[in-house]
Amino acid sequence: MAVERTSSRLSDPDLVQRCREGSADAWNELVERFSRYVYAICSRGFGLSAADAEDAFQDVFTRVYTRLDTLRDDSAIRPWIAQLTRRVCLDRVARTHEEPVDEIADERLARTTEEIDEAFTVREALADLGEPCHELLDRFFARDESYRTISEQLDLPPGTVASRISRCLAKLRSELEGRNPGESPSGGQR
Amino acid sequence: MLETTYTWPAVADDYLDLRLGDFLDLSASEPAPGAGSAAAVTIALAASLVTKVARASRESWAEAGGVAAQACELQQRCPTLAREDADAWQLALEALGRGAGAEEGELAVRLDRAADLPLAIAETGADVAGLALLAAERGEGRLRGEAVAAAVLAEAGVRAAAHLVVINLKAGADDERCARAARAERAAASAVSGALEAER
Repeated sequence: MAVERTSSRLSDPDLVQRCREGSADAWNELVERFSRYVYAICSRGFGLSAADAEDAFQDVFTRVYTRLDTLRDDSAIRPWIAQLTRRVCLDRVARTHEEPVDEIADERLARTTEEIDEAFTVREALADLGEPCHELLDRFFARDESYRTISEQLDLPPGTVASRISRCLAKLRSELEGRNPGESPSGGQR
Repeated sequence: MLETTYTWPAVADDYLDLRLGDFLDLSASEPAPGAGSAAAVTIALAASLVTKVARASRESWAEAGGVAAQACELQQRCPTLAREDADAWQLALEALGRGAGAEEGELAVRLDRAADLPLAIAETGADVAGLALLAAERGEGRLRGEAVAAAVLAEAGVRAAAHLVVINLKAGADDERCARAARAERAAASAVSGALEAER
């Protein structure tokens, strides 16, 4: 799946602030920035059907819109949205299932949410890398393109693609380490 | 050994779910997996060797982490290609078996698909061979032999897959895919020469 760029690179706290000020553009961008995240938690995390995930998605962003003023730390918008999403999904599952979510399912859910979180952190870091790294890494790791295809599409000498990807991965690693000082990112280099 | 209880295609959704011995038995006794899948598995092995060399060379080679990540990515593409190739080949065999009874154009469509997969395998193998060359040139000295072996294995996979492209497109040998397969073969052969040279 190709990685899509967000429409601007406003930081999360700046975006939240613009939303609070009533900017319609900012609200659109907030929904765009977190829509895949919310949808991934609904569908992959909770296994909701496409229709249920769509309903949950609407519910989540309605709550985000009406409760944004209760968010204490603007930089924590993503975990806050994740928490809202989990609550919405749990309510939905409770209404449609007689059995409560058991511990094993709970652990699996936590792992899946963690994976989704990691994927979105990498996605954001990729977007911040800029070009040509964003496109190079996206083509190789997300679109499964060969070096030959990448070299033709980006007009690069075929022999240099692998080295450039390596350098871009090193940049991505630095970017991720900058976001999580002291932690070794698992999404950058294996 | 040949009296296997496996029946194609319901053997496994993913060859990674099979033990090596079971995969070999399956390959020896059923029409699919065939040569294309064998080429993909060979290339996956080559990629795993490159990953090993690169991972062990991080202290002396700045790009080692990036090369390991790329080799790992290429390795992960191979089981899917092996499975898809087996499916495409089986469908082509079924159409061939029906001969004149096959729907008009059906055989051509299935052979066409049966050529796409070996081409993807060949191009993946050429990329693995390219990484193996880098590992042979820059990797930890004691492991360079592994990198050279990886290049040779990758080239073998590329040659096998490229040959299948040509066979499956026999009626249309001027197809651009034949030229792409030949390019992949040349790239892999060049990587092997370079890797052998680097080791000397």
